[in-house]
Amino acid sequence: MKSYFLSDQNLTAFVEGLMSKYPVIAPVAKRSRFVFDTLVDVSELRLDYDTTILPPKKVFFPAKQDLIHFDKDGFTSAIDPKEQVLLGAHPHDIKGIAMSDIFYSDRQYDNNYMANRKATIIIGCSVQNHYKHAFFGTMNANRPLTGHDLFMTKIEGGYAVDALSEKGEALIALGTFTDAGDAQVAAATEVNKKAEENCPEKLNGTAEEIREKVRSSFDSPVWEECAEKCFSCGSCNIVCCTCYCFDVQDEWNVDGASGTRFRLWDACLTTEFSEVTSPGGSENFREERAERYRHRFMRKAAYLNEQLGGPACTGCGRCSGACTADIANPATVINKILEQ
Amino acid sequence: MAKVKCAWFDFASCEGCQIELTNFGEPFVELLEHVEPVEFREAMSEKTTGPIDVAFIEGSFTREADRRRLEEIRERAGVVVAYGACATCGGINALKNHQSDYAEEVYGEDAKRPHLDSQKALPVSAAIKVDYEIPGCPMDKAEFIRVVEQLVHGTSKVYIPSYPVCVECKRNETVCRYDDGGHCLGPIALAGCGAPCPAAGIPCEACRGMVNKPNQAAMELVLKENGNLPERWAKDMTRMFTANFRGDA
Ligand code: SF4
Ligand code: SF4
Ligand code: SF4
Ligand code: SF4
Ligand code: SF4
Repeated sequence: MKSYFLSDQNLTAFVEGLMSKYPVIAPVAKRSRFVFDTLVDVSELRLDYDTTILPPKKVFFPAKQDLIHFDKDGFTSAIDPKEQVLLGAHPHDIKGIAMSDIFYSDRQYDNNYMANRKATIIIGCSVQNHYKHAFFGTMNANRPLTGHDLFMTKIEGGYAVDALSEKGEALIALGTFTDAGDAQVAAATEVNKKAEENCPEKLNGTAEEIREKVRSSFDSPVWEECAEKCFSCGSCNIVCCTCYCFDVQDEWNVDGASGTRFRLWDACLTTEFSEVTSPGGSENFREERAERYRHRFMRKAAYLNEQLGGPACTGCGRCSGACTADIANPATVINKILEQ
Repeated sequence: MAKVKCAWFDFASCEGCQIELTNFGEPFVELLEHVEPVEFREAMSEKTTGPIDVAFIEGSFTREADRRRLEEIRERAGVVVAYGACATCGGINALKNHQSDYAEEVYGEDAKRPHLDSQKALPVSAAIKVDYEIPGCPMDKAEFIRVVEQLVHGTSKVYIPSYPVCVECKRNETVCRYDDGGHCLGPIALAGCGAPCPAAGIPCEACRGMVNKPNQAAMELVLKENGNLPERWAKDMTRMFTANFRGDA
């Protein structure tokens, strides 16, 4: 790994350099929030953003993704990866991407996700402002940060930039960088440490404690209590870095002979997620809203915790903010269970 | 393949859904290769009495006198599709359901005239068996095309989502009305429209009706506490399009 320094004055030229070679998807403002979107003008770039409404996984796996186009004679794959740059992913979001990579390649290799993922160069950046619900400092904090190509930390006068892969190293030529001095490298380490320490919310307990306690709370009345205000609206799923469920549908053209098979992000909090056809109609294997509400926590904190060696959560806090009933916050709910 | 004979009928409604259909443009023209409209008040003058394959019914059932007409349509039609909120859930007409004094207030001395005599606005399914429902005020064009396409080609199950508008709104990455200091019925509103209203910066009014088992108590609380609506507005907001889903319907 090599460390560089990019001055504030040289940031614009570097990003324009990236934009001249690739579509650059980066945080931009949207009303009172931020979203990852393709940069049209470098002035839109907001590396000081707190969080985005949707996590960056949408860059490889959009909320609606075509899978195949079909007609009478057969089908063609819709996989069509384009080289692109994801700029400005926060460290915890990079961890979220690494978790998604496992979900989409470990047990079942998902070409539709992986092709786009491999074609994406990831440039991370430090957290300059905290989202009011963030707790990444205490959620998977020790999980190694991997899978990205460059990482930019905002320090005095500019950015300390770590080149973490060959692809990342190649981007250095697109801007005016100098070698980072020891003091700059040390300042960057401190900035990232402080960002973790200064998270507005905190989660207690180790990965193991969380796994055991949440698992054994299965029959606890806590789920019924917490879910009382739940709308089963799935917002907590849709905005989540680590939710990976999808629903596959066919859209037929009016000719009745051709069409497109696509997938949509799905949400286990909704009733239809757990509805299956059965003789004479359908049945729901998580009929009650508290069961669906509990399922999300079981998945994140217990079941996937085993596969990942830590909860399937990055502490981004998006779900807490997305929940209009204000009951989705994993830090609050898991802390409550740990206290029981 | 023989064309599918379709007829359109309207009851208590603004006929906006029929207008919406004629606004279709290309997909509708393509659809005409497969369907033959035999009765369609907004676009043709012919009337029929014979059997029809698919009857599209717009508007609420709100006068006992209309029951017979609906039954006749049912007898003649192979498939009955109720389309638009008025027909699927009573829609905006049901706004009157909880009040009995509006007639005098609105019509003065004409209030007693016979054509104004109506009961509660109810969905078409309150009078006859309905095979498919396409919700929305007005109904969603894409959904209409999908349902008709599936009917024409004989698919039995027509999929319309059962989850709330929030799912689609979040997929669109729209800024939540509540994050923008507003309010919204999205958490209990039936999706399928693609959540255009929050995307345009206005609240969802649940024009497609509510989801199954909507958490109305929580909605009232959220409208009040997060949406900063006065108590009475929070209580009454669901009367606009979804009066028939309320506990006091
Ligand atoms: S569960 Fe919530 S905090 Fe955790 S990754 Fe998902 S959205 Fe972020
Ligand atoms: S929490 Fe639910 S939607 Fe998210 S990945 Fe797990 S099962 Fe799927
Ligand atoms: S926990 Fe909140 S965001 Fe999740 S489904 Fe329930 S109400 Fe919606
Ligand atoms: S704007 Fe409305 S529909 Fe969209 S997420 Fe917020 S409450 Fe749900
Ligand atoms: S967002 Fe709500 S009000 Fe708007 S079309 Fe959809 S259901 Fe109707």
